Amino acid sequence: MRVYPYPRLTGAVTARVTAVRLRGPDDTREYLDSRGYSVVEQVVALGTAERADWRTARLALTATVPAREIETKGHWSDIAVVAVLTEGATNARTVSRLTPGGESGREWTGEIELDRDDHLDRASLSVHVVATVGGVEGRIIASTDQEWLIDMTADGPLRDRQLDVSTVSFARGAEWLRSFRDAPWIVDTAGRMPTVRLNSDFEGLVALVAGQGSKVESVVGEMLLAQMCADVWTAVFHTAIGDLEIEDDGTPLFPPDWRGAVLREMLPDIVPGRSAEDALREVHIRRTGEGSWAELQPRIQYAAARRAEVPKALAGTVRDIERLDQETHA
Amino acid sequence: MTSRPEHLPERLALITDVQAAEYISTGLLEGREDVPSIALNKVAEALPGDDVRLRLHPVRDLIDDAVTKYRDGRPTAADAWLAPRLHETLRLTRREASEKSLWTYMALGVAPDYVVWRHLSEPKADGSRGRVARDRFVGPHHKQTFARLWWAAELFRDGPDYRPVEVACGNQDMLNSALRLDIVDHRPTALALVGLMERGSVRTGREVNALTSAVNAAAATLMYDVIAPDVERDGEPLRDWIAGAESALPSPRNNLPEGPDEEHVPEEAVRRLIAHFEELFADAPVRGRTSDERE
Repeated sequence: MRVYPYPRLTGAVTARVTAVRLRGPDDTREYLDSRGYSVVEQVVALGTAERADWRTARLALTATVPAREIETKGHWSDIAVVAVLTEGATNARTVSRLTPGGESGREWTGEIELDRDDHLDRASLSVHVVATVGGVEGRIIASTDQEWLIDMTADGPLRDRQLDVSTVSFARGAEWLRSFRDAPWIVDTAGRMPTVRLNSDFEGLVALVAGQGSKVESVVGEMLLAQMCADVWTAVFHTAIGDLEIEDDGTPLFPPDWRGAVLREMLPDIVPGRSAEDALREVHIRRTGEGSWAELQPRIQYAAARRAEVPKALAGTVRDIERLDQETHA
Repeated sequence: MTSRPEHLPERLALITDVQAAEYISTGLLEGREDVPSIALNKVAEALPGDDVRLRLHPVRDLIDDAVTKYRDGRPTAADAWLAPRLHETLRLTRREASEKSLWTYMALGVAPDYVVWRHLSEPKADGSRGRVARDRFVGPHHKQTFARLWWAAELFRDGPDYRPVEVACGNQDMLNSALRLDIVDHRPTALALVGLMERGSVRTGREVNALTSAVNAAAATLMYDVIAPDVERDGEPLRDWIAGAESALPSPRNNLPEGPDEEHVPEEAVRRLIAHFEELFADAPVRGRTSDERE
């Protein structure tokens, strides 16, 4: 745990998005349907907007702060509650002050606006309580535990991302795909999000993965999908770890985009029992030759398989095959 | 030395890291080879539409002028000249500028000769050749040759005024250390850092590094946005400026161009942060600074 040289709040700060208003050219307005954002997932999916040409999104927010603690402990003055919206990929940062509402002082409300031109993929929204402490103004005395994600394109408010699978002819596709013409699929980590490219030249593969064929096909298809997923996790992990920013003192930094999210998710399985930062440093040291990189491979494979739910898919496949066998013998 | 591409298409294009890898040879990184421009443009993804902002030649002309102007001096001096003019010529939104494959194309397809001229290191004492770091072609926004200039201009400009950009780019340590930190995403913070350079409060590379580290470390517990609030961002002036690209003249070569007509950063906010950062800097450890040098 971090130690701070000044008193901070112990009670939780939470935030929820209560409405999303989109504005387009010529001042057209639209309220995002409430199915477009989720308080459980803490995600706003702007891809659910009816108008595709929106330019700005204004989020209405309510934050809950431990007002009683602020009052009884009395360490803090000039309390401000601010919402901060950031995206690493575009270096965007928008800040908005919330205002206290109601008598209890627990709920603070306000709005924060984002401009679509300032964002690429996913912005994070957090709320901080700021106060003057011991004569120092502007101290952050509490923050939301989990940030909200504002997804620019998603068509559903889900935190976990769906795997993007596209079908393309390797033989007739882009130049670089041609050298992979015999492969059933490859993982492409070059873009904003990793995608699986399925080779349409590989006969029967697309139907198999789509799972629209016979029972046997759908059983195999599911297994195949899990395997592809595992490939994606492995590829993304290696891409991310191979391209880390290193501080002057040798500390590796988490990438600001999905690569960072992937590392944070996989590292606890790769280097168990350590903080994310420590685990990253450990893996980085091993990869750059001062440790045993090779011995880490089974752990990476394990973490990828777990994320892709390979064991679950395999268990399901085994069970389904048994059932199919019984049916044919019955 | 790596030369200007033989084939320059009319418009800019995109090239992914995977595709680019094939063209970033050791020979190119050592400045001995050219990029096969016809083959490169075959795999690059052409940008659709007829948006004037994506014409290649205005960018290439600008780069040629930068080299001509700074050929006899230190290539680092070209940064402060090129950054605002590149920014004004391209007129990108941040969303567009976060597209890495555009910058990679600029480095490989538009001006690999510039990347080599600007970033080739001196030959080493053991006689081995100088080299350009790979991330000058395909790196993150604060490393890649053109992305770093564009982002420096974007993050250090004061609305339409590019003067702070010239100051920031005039010091390689400011450019290298500040650009990668999130603190400069807050405009008053970025301008306060520039302000300290202008006042001479920080001069050397070590001082700049000590200052940015101290400000960054303090940002873990301090909300500069509350201490020194910026005005609310408005996207309209940028959209107007982009629409104006159609009728824009080439970026002025002697005077500074003008950026989008956004509101200036509140002076009071910058003043407060300058005072704040000066205090932080007074206590910061600077490599090579002994305690009796402190005032």
